[in-house]
Amino acid sequence: MNLTLNINGTAHSVDIVEGELLLDVLRRLGFTSVREGCGVGACGSCTVLVDGHSVSSCLTLSSRCAGTEIQTSEGLGKDNPVVRAFVAEGALQCGYCIPGFVMMATELLSENLHPDEKDVADHLEGNICRCGTYPEIVKAVLAAASGIPK
Amino acid sequence: MNPPILRPESLADACTMLSLDEDALIYGGGTALQILRKQGILSASSFVDISQIPGLNEVHQTENEILVGSMVSIRRMETDPLVRRYLSLASAAYAKVANPRVRNTATVGGNIAHGDYRLDPPVALLVLGATIEATSAEGSRRIPIEEFFVDFQLTALDHGEIVTSIKIPVSSDIVASTYVKLSSLSANDWPSASAAAAVFRRPGETRILRLALGALAPTPVVTSVDITGLRKDQAAEAVLERAILMMDPLPDVRGGIEYKRNLGRVAVEDALRNLWRDQPSD
Repeated sequence: MNLTLNINGTAHSVDIVEGELLLDVLRRLGFTSVREGCGVGACGSCTVLVDGHSVSSCLTLSSRCAGTEIQTSEGLGKDNPVVRAFVAEGALQCGYCIPGFVMMATELLSENLHPDEKDVADHLEGNICRCGTYPEIVKAVLAAASGIPK
Repeated sequence: MNPPILRPESLADACTMLSLDEDALIYGGGTALQILRKQGILSASSFVDISQIPGLNEVHQTENEILVGSMVSIRRMETDPLVRRYLSLASAAYAKVANPRVRNTATVGGNIAHGDYRLDPPVALLVLGATIEATSAEGSRRIPIEEFFVDFQLTALDHGEIVTSIKIPVSSDIVASTYVKLSSLSANDWPSASAAAAVFRRPGETRILRLALGALAPTPVVTSVDITGLRKDQAAEAVLERAILMMDPLPDVRGGIEYKRNLGRVAVEDALRNLWRDQPSD
């Protein structure tokens, strides 16, 4: 079946097979910041925002996303405050998981302009970084929230 | 091959589709179904996607209860001001489900229909005395939550029945409530032991402590203990004694039987401490 998906503000027409997951469709369209990790919604590497809400694209039916606004980290750009804070704090090693963390942080900051360290930890607790960059990630999200340019 | 996805636009159509195919499965948020499908332990002839049915995604308040549509997300139960204000125990339990992404996707109806003995929300719903509305081609019926969890991974739902709403009483008798979740793997894993509890003060100053346990028996379990006139230590002793009798843990990767019994005891003690802290005048 054919599906139109609005991704980062642009409409994409795509042929999908029945039941195809959003993760696979996004990667096929070239949005390779969206990455499979665990495949069961527990690691956060495939996080995207659908109408502003974070979802695991590995568990999301692509057909359910017609008519929604999908955001991936490609749409944020290098001048986005969260992206800049991650770079400034050195909040990455291998980087595989980082787009997922950036999208979770984007959701958090859209709901809570002034999160404290516990709010950040609570919101990001379902994202896994096997390099163990958690302290820098928390610092980056707090820096993005405080709006301090580095 | 993925099962074909049917997209009924009315409840009546969904009921008809389910009544015509005994191997069709209801697709709510899909978080559990997708995991089970990937694990290869799910066989379904089709998925009946109920997301297009109007009215299932709403939260209504009436005088003494809040009615939650089955497609309302778990996260909304965590964050909705109405639910937080009037059903703080339920909100606390929904907030502990998995992680924010799963809570954004998973639904209130799907969660309970999943029927797992370790789910976070059912223990709160048991303490609060919720009622489940199930609808099929034959009509609707209301199932008291105490009758909903029948056995290990088995609910009172018949094939073809869709959970359409959960009705949760709003009680002004509750003077304190708490949800405790203890996990032995990661913080957002299933609990290895959980406890929801509330103290109800009824006219005439009777005090009833309602306690439900999760992950500690093949189904979530609930009890009421009359603690009228008891000192806190006496009440705690009476509740713990009852709680221990309710525990029948299943050994698994999260711990053996004795470990879970001990953890269950800790969950109940934590719950009691939280309750007493919230009513310091007694």
